[in-house]
Amino acid sequence: MTPVGGDVKSPQDPRIHQAEQMQSSLWSQIQSILPPSLEEFPQVLGPEVDGAVVICVKEAAASIYTHDPGRCGQLGELIMDYSWEKLNGCKWRDVSRDWRTSYSYGCLFKVVGICRGLVVNKEEVLRVCDMSLLLGAEIMDNVISRIIQILSQPLSMDSVEPPECKTVLTQKIRKRTKDTQGKEPGTEPSSQIPEKIPRPLTPVLHIATTIPVVRCPSLEEFRHNYLIPQKAVILEGVIDHWPCMNKWSVEYIQKVAGCRTVPVELGSRYTDAEWSQRLMTVNDFISNYILDQPARRGYLAQHQLFEQIRELKEDIGIPDYCCLGEGDEDDITINAWFGPAGTVSPLHQDPQQNFLAQIIGRKYLRLYSVSETERLYPFDSSLLHNTSQVDIENPDVDKFPDFAQAAYQECILYPGQILFIPVKWWHYVRALDISFSVSFWWS
Amino acid sequence: MLWFGFGYSGFGQLGPGEGFTLNLPEPVQLKGANVEKKRIVRAVPSWSYTAVVTDEGSLLLSGCVGGSPQQVICFPSLGCCDVLPSEKYLIILRKERAECWDVLHLDCKGTVPEPMWKMEFSDLYDTAFPLVAKGYVLSEPPFFRELPPTLQAQKMALGNEHAVLLTSDGKVLTWGSGRHGQLGHGDVEDVSEPRVVEALHGLTVREVASGGWHTVSISESGDLYCWGWNESGQLGLPSKALQEERPFSREDPTECDEDEDDDLIGIQSFPALIDLPQETEAAKVSCGSRHTATVTRSGQLYTWGWGKYGQLGHGDTKNLDQPKRVEFFYQGKFCVKDVTCGHWNTYVMCLPEAK
Repeated sequence: MTPVGGDVKSPQDPRIHQAEQMQSSLWSQIQSILPPSLEEFPQVLGPEVDGAVVICVKEAAASIYTHDPGRCGQLGELIMDYSWEKLNGCKWRDVSRDWRTSYSYGCLFKVVGICRGLVVNKEEVLRVCDMSLLLGAEIMDNVISRIIQILSQPLSMDSVEPPECKTVLTQKIRKRTKDTQGKEPGTEPSSQIPEKIPRPLTPVLHIATTIPVVRCPSLEEFRHNYLIPQKAVILEGVIDHWPCMNKWSVEYIQKVAGCRTVPVELGSRYTDAEWSQRLMTVNDFISNYILDQPARRGYLAQHQLFEQIRELKEDIGIPDYCCLGEGDEDDITINAWFGPAGTVSPLHQDPQQNFLAQIIGRKYLRLYSVSETERLYPFDSSLLHNTSQVDIENPDVDKFPDFAQAAYQECILYPGQILFIPVKWWHYVRALDISFSVSFWWS
Repeated sequence: MLWFGFGYSGFGQLGPGEGFTLNLPEPVQLKGANVEKKRIVRAVPSWSYTAVVTDEGSLLLSGCVGGSPQQVICFPSLGCCDVLPSEKYLIILRKERAECWDVLHLDCKGTVPEPMWKMEFSDLYDTAFPLVAKGYVLSEPPFFRELPPTLQAQKMALGNEHAVLLTSDGKVLTWGSGRHGQLGHGDVEDVSEPRVVEALHGLTVREVASGGWHTVSISESGDLYCWGWNESGQLGLPSKALQEERPFSREDPTECDEDEDDDLIGIQSFPALIDLPQETEAAKVSCGSRHTATVTRSGQLYTWGWGKYGQLGHGDTKNLDQPKRVEFFYQGKFCVKDVTCGHWNTYVMCLPEAK
């Protein structure tokens, strides 16, 4: 492996000593969670995996115990690259678990290669671990999560971390705060926000269509008045005690998860041709898409962030009302939705009951009941049949004449509120501020 | 005729070597000794091994075969005229018969195995794999698929999840998965039956090739068209992957220009005309999983796309999102005649001292 890190260090450089100490203590911790000998190293690869890859995995495992980290890292990368092609070789739902397993082995070997190298780049290790969590399968009793745990412990790690990662962001935050505070209200210069983006407008809601707000209903009240009749409602006072309500801010997310790799949706809405998804660190996402506002919006959307970053999971709970469903608590899908003002989820429906908890910022939502479906013009294609073709805040009345007759409800969801969206109800979401929401899909 | 190969050789595909992580970014000549002084007519790489066919119908496999790396196995006078290798199966055309061998269980002594599948052809059919009489062969079960005779198929290429067919009157048809724009129909929808690529209407196409997720064609006038996934720059269009490698954007993320970002191509869902820097007319083309190689009418080789394993032949492991001439052949005064890419490899057929 090529040693990572830019500047040349003289032998007297105290950082070398520090780095070596850190490296040896990090490696000894990682070693302690690996099997003590090659014989005990599991190499369970399914039948789908090509023979040549099985040979590579055997070789890489052996190189851990012959103390050849360079070879281990290179083989890991080779296994990752080849498995990656297999993971992309068909639709994600058709990808064999065998290839996800082999991808994770590749990640593990690459991590071993880096952690035994001369200078450990913690961010690189975390990136590889996250790739395993995002694309791979669980191996060796969750060894990747355990490595992440080791990394998150405060070793003398910070001394090695590239400093620019933090300073750039701090500067940007400072710049932005200054910019927005120094202005007279209403005289926001157009140079601040590119003209291509219309400023997010706060819609004026009509009383008749506004979704009702209820404060802490009992389980029975909720079941009887909303769940059984399938009526949308905003609940208040339900998540006030969640630690996230006090703790979370852009800076906090950055502190806890800055170096973690997450999938980000790029483009205004997923129905657009230019829409794409990219993996990037939370730091890059925050600095390039939240503190900065490029023409192409970035949205950390529908991602099971709390499975990946346990520390954030401790800050949230699960709404008690979910127990009214038939599924287990383990069957509840919890997704994070984090992005700048102006992100849009086009009008669509989901196959489960949904609680959308608003943690940071406000969101505008519009809901249509299932019975309105034929006035909403869903796409024909199998991929988008649960999505409406109508741009609902700017509908094409010639193309979609019946849309205007569709009855709807709407709301502006504030931090601390939870919106109940009944199963299969159509919903459209637009963020009015920098926003963090957590959704709970349950049945 | 001389043969050169480059790219990933960790399993000894380009001759036995030190081991698993060997990349050969400079072309190496396939030695006569490797094929018992017979002339090579075809070299087709899978990921971990390469199949070489000689003019006497011998077959030579080098790389990971029979469950071991660094193998060289020769099957002399097999009557072999074409091969379609994959990691699990090897399809061989032997005169009037196509058959399939199980790669993992090949005997390193060169014993001709009992085929696990075979198919006889009543009449000889002058086409190249995967095209055969009445259909095409696949490197996975069911190994053969029929094609309607009305299609007049002349050439075919298979991607990971899509198929490309060239008709005798120069039309291009595609079908299969369109997730990455690889079908060229202007969208990312799947198509189950062969469908004409309308955007090429009016052009007579002479060559087609397919990578893992991209498709390339050459028109009669030598124009090169690419479409599909540009993940590593394999289309020869500005790619995000390369943008991120360029040093300036790393050092100061604040200087990232959004307008520039808009020009980057991730997916190209209809054919795009690609210019070769010094010349215009392309004659042959082949694709690896994420790279592309083309031979011009004047005998130059150009490559672009994913270069991490040396598969571009430029002496390094960089990715390229625009065609670049491979200087090795230009400076060595070789006249390149043909090119065959596999997953992470490129094989080149050329004549010496052409100029």
